[in-house]
Amino acid sequence: MSTAVKHRIRNQLRVCLLAVKFNIMREMLNKVTFLTNVGFMVLNNASFIIQWIILFRLKEDIGGYSMADVMLLWGLAASTFGLSRIFFARAFSLPELIINGKLDAYLVQPKNVLLAVLTSSTNTSAIGDLLYGLLVLCIFCFSPGRLLLFLLFTVTGAVILTAFSLLLGSLSFWFVRADAFGSHMVNSTISFSTYPDGIFKGTARFLIYNLLPVGMAIYRPVHVMMRFDGRTFLAVLGYTVLLSAAAVFVFYRGLRRYSSSNLMEARM
Amino acid sequence: MRKYAVIYRSVLMENLQYALNIAMSFISYFIFIFVFINLWNYIYSAPDSLIAGYTREQMIWYVMITEALWFGAPAGTVARQASSDIRSGNIAYLVNKPYHYTLYILARYTGGWSVQLPMFAVLAAAMGTAMVGPLPRFSPLHLLAAIPVVILGLTIDAVFRICISLISFWVEDANPFQWLYSKMMLLIGTIFPVEIFPAALQPVFRLTPIYTVCYGPAKLIVDFSADKYIEIILAQALYLGAAAALMLFLYGKGVRKLHVNGG
Repeated sequence: MSTAVKHRIRNQLRVCLLAVKFNIMREMLNKVTFLTNVGFMVLNNASFIIQWIILFRLKEDIGGYSMADVMLLWGLAASTFGLSRIFFARAFSLPELIINGKLDAYLVQPKNVLLAVLTSSTNTSAIGDLLYGLLVLCIFCFSPGRLLLFLLFTVTGAVILTAFSLLLGSLSFWFVRADAFGSHMVNSTISFSTYPDGIFKGTARFLIYNLLPVGMAIYRPVHVMMRFDGRTFLAVLGYTVLLSAAAVFVFYRGLRRYSSSNLMEARM
Repeated sequence: MRKYAVIYRSVLMENLQYALNIAMSFISYFIFIFVFINLWNYIYSAPDSLIAGYTREQMIWYVMITEALWFGAPAGTVARQASSDIRSGNIAYLVNKPYHYTLYILARYTGGWSVQLPMFAVLAAAMGTAMVGPLPRFSPLHLLAAIPVVILGLTIDAVFRICISLISFWVEDANPFQWLYSKMMLLIGTIFPVEIFPAALQPVFRLTPIYTVCYGPAKLIVDFSADKYIEIILAQALYLGAAAALMLFLYGKGVRKLHVNGG
C-alpha cells in the first residue's frame, strides 16, 4: 500500500472519529439529560436479568446455556448494538435519507460519502448499552482472555449489524417499501440475539445461521468465548469482511440511482 | 366530546390508508412470538405439564395476546408526542387550541390502534391456531366480554404514558422514564403472567397498573372467570380515574410553568 493511500485512509478515519466526537459533544450540551439517558439505558437492560432469573427457576439450563452464559450472550448483544449505534447510528435510518432525497449534503463534502453518512449521527443511550455489556462481562464471567475476545467481537458484531442494516437500507434506492422491511429484519436480528441458540431447531436454526447475521454477530462469538475454536474465530472475521464488502458494494451501486429532491434545509 | 370524535375519525382514516405498512409491522411480531414459542416449547419438558397453573398452550397464547396489544397498539407515539411537543416548544401552539391537549393526544392514539389492533388480532389468532393449536376452554363469548377490558387497559396505559411525558415540563427528556415504565410492563405483565412470580410479590404486582393494562385482558381471554372479570373491571375503573386525575393535575401544573419566548 502506497504512503499516499495510507495517508488518505488515516485522514478519513480521523474525520470519522471527529464526527462521532462532535456528535457526542453536541448531546452532552445538557449533561443531566445525557447522563440520565446513559444511566437509564443501563437500568433498562439490567431489568431483563429478572426475566432470566424467572426462567432459570423453571429449568436449570436453557438451550445448553447457564445463567452466566446467558449474561455473556446478553452482554455481547448489548455492547454490539451499542457500539454500532454510537459510531454508525445513521445506518439504521438510511432509508429516510434516500427516500427524502437528503443525501445531497453528503455528496458534496470532501470525504468518503458512505463514512460521512454513517457517522453523521450518534445515539446517546447506546453508550449505556456498551457500558452494560462490559459491566455484565466483568460481573458474571470475567477473565482477561475473555475480555480481549469480547472487545474484538463487540467490534465485529457492530460492523456486521451495521453492514446488515446498510445492505437492507440501501435497497431503498430501488424499492420504496424496503425501509419497513429492513427495519423489521434488523429488529428481528436483535430479538433473536438475546435468547440462547440452543432453543431453536429446524427452520429457526436455519434462519439465525443463514438468513439473519445473528449467528455470526453473536452466537458464534459467544461459543468461541465459552470454548475457544480457531476455525470459528476465523469464520467470524471472514464473514465480517465479506458482509461489509457486500454492503459497501450495494450502497454504491444504489447511489448511482439516487436522485436529489432539491431539498433546502439548514444542517446544524 | 364531538371534537375528540372528529380527531379520532381523522386519524382512523389516515391509518386506513397505510394498511400495508401496518401489515408489514407484523413481521417483528411474528419473529418475537416465534422466539417465545421456541422458548416455551423448550421449557415445557412434557406437553401436558403445568407451570404456574398454565398449560403450554395457555402460556404461549398469553404471550401472544399481550404482545398483540403491545404491537397492535404501539404506545411509542403517545409517549413521544407530548414529550417532543414540550421539548420543541410546539406545545405553545397547541395549548390555546379549542381542545384539551392531553385528550387530543389520547383521541389520536385511540384512532391509531383502532385500525392496527383488529388487524393484529386476526393475524395473531391465525398464527396461534396454526403454530400452537387452539386455546383450551376458549369461548367467543369470553372474547366479547374481554373487549371492554382491552379498551380500558389500553386507555389506562396511554394515560400513564402521557403522565410520564408531561414530566418533560420539568426535566428535558422524559424518555428514560418511559423506558423503565415499558420494561416494567414488558417483564412483569407481558412476557410472564403474574402467577409465575414468587408468591410474596404477586399481591404487590396486583396493585400496579400491570394488573389492569396487560395481565387483566390476557388472563380473561386465556382463562375466563366471572369473579376475575368483575375484579379486573373494578380495578380498571379505579386506575383510570386516578391516572386521569394525575394527568390533568400534571398538565395544569406544567402549563403554568411554560415560558413562551416568542419567535
